[in-house]
Amino acid sequence: MKTIKSLSIIWIVLSVICTNAFAQKNNKDIVDFKLKNVDGNFVSLSDYPYAKGFIIVFTCNHCPFAKLYPPRLNDLNNKFKPLGVPLIAISSTDTMMYEEDTYPNMVTKANEEHFNFPYLFDEMQEVAKNFKAQKTPHAYVIWKENNQWVVKYNGAIDDNGMEPEKVTESFVSNAVNELLTSQRVKTSETKSIGCQIAFRRK
Amino acid sequence: MRRFFIYLFMHIKLVILLVFILINQKSSAQNIQIVKFDALKQCIYNKSDTVYVVNFFASWCKPCIQEMPEFLSFAIGIKNSKIKLVFVSVDFKKEQEKLLQIVQKFSLQNVYLLDETNANNWINKIDKKWSGAIPATLIVKKGKHNKFIADVISSQTLFKLIK
Repeated sequence: MKTIKSLSIIWIVLSVICTNAFAQKNNKDIVDFKLKNVDGNFVSLSDYPYAKGFIIVFTCNHCPFAKLYPPRLNDLNNKFKPLGVPLIAISSTDTMMYEEDTYPNMVTKANEEHFNFPYLFDEMQEVAKNFKAQKTPHAYVIWKENNQWVVKYNGAIDDNGMEPEKVTESFVSNAVNELLTSQRVKTSETKSIGCQIAFRRK
Repeated sequence: MRRFFIYLFMHIKLVILLVFILINQKSSAQNIQIVKFDALKQCIYNKSDTVYVVNFFASWCKPCIQEMPEFLSFAIGIKNSKIKLVFVSVDFKKEQEKLLQIVQKFSLQNVYLLDETNANNWINKIDKKWSGAIPATLIVKKGKHNKFIADVISSQTLFKLIK
């Protein structure tokens, strides 16, 4: 009996250590934000009480890599918003460096490309810092766990920017599908080339 | 044999034109080498005494182009030394023209165009902490990863880093 007891204690201790190790590796809590959308309204995560998760994409107008993705972002939002995982795009680029990324130009871009998702202006770059976003495009999948937003995936949208028809792995799409079916996200981080989000020095 | 020379002489204009085209092709090919990642790795991770300073850039990347003069003054400082400056472009293969313009504008030497579509396969092999944002610079000493800077860099910092 004693051995069973001690074994179960060891088991509990081990499982606590394991979950903590996992928590440290991947789960980074995200603070809600309030940013101006291209339609003039402010948008927060809390505006979507039904959302199970979000696809957050740091993008911008000027970056050639980001320019390859708008149709694919529309597709992702079309596919996953009805399932409770809307897409939100955020531009955090330093507008002093890139005239193309100013708010009026964001409005134009969203109209031209028929964005079906919010395109938010992170003027103070605080949201990008919170996410530790480093480049455009840089995608995140966050998921609601115990009333907190937890990062489940970060990295590329898919594995072929230039040739959408040759994409073999849709990283964001796969991660969301796995989360929707209560599976572990198999690929939780990927890398891709992108334009650096240069943080202004204070 | 004689006939061949006569024939050659008759078409001398054509021959000159052909030679001219060949030379021209060769010189533009010398400017930019299109390589797969594994081939690039073999170039920069060799166990010679040469220190490799590898700059990752693209013609469309504004901060990359802005820092080019820093690399040019660094290049002057490392002349006749065992330090080799290498440029790796992640430009789209379809848009080589833009890259060529930058290469010519700054007279860049040792330029490689990476022929890879999925950066997820190779970025970690350069540095695990690198997100893939450019510009970024890698220093390789004796065939081993020595330093990696995922940001713009000055020639002063470059000189310090290779010491």
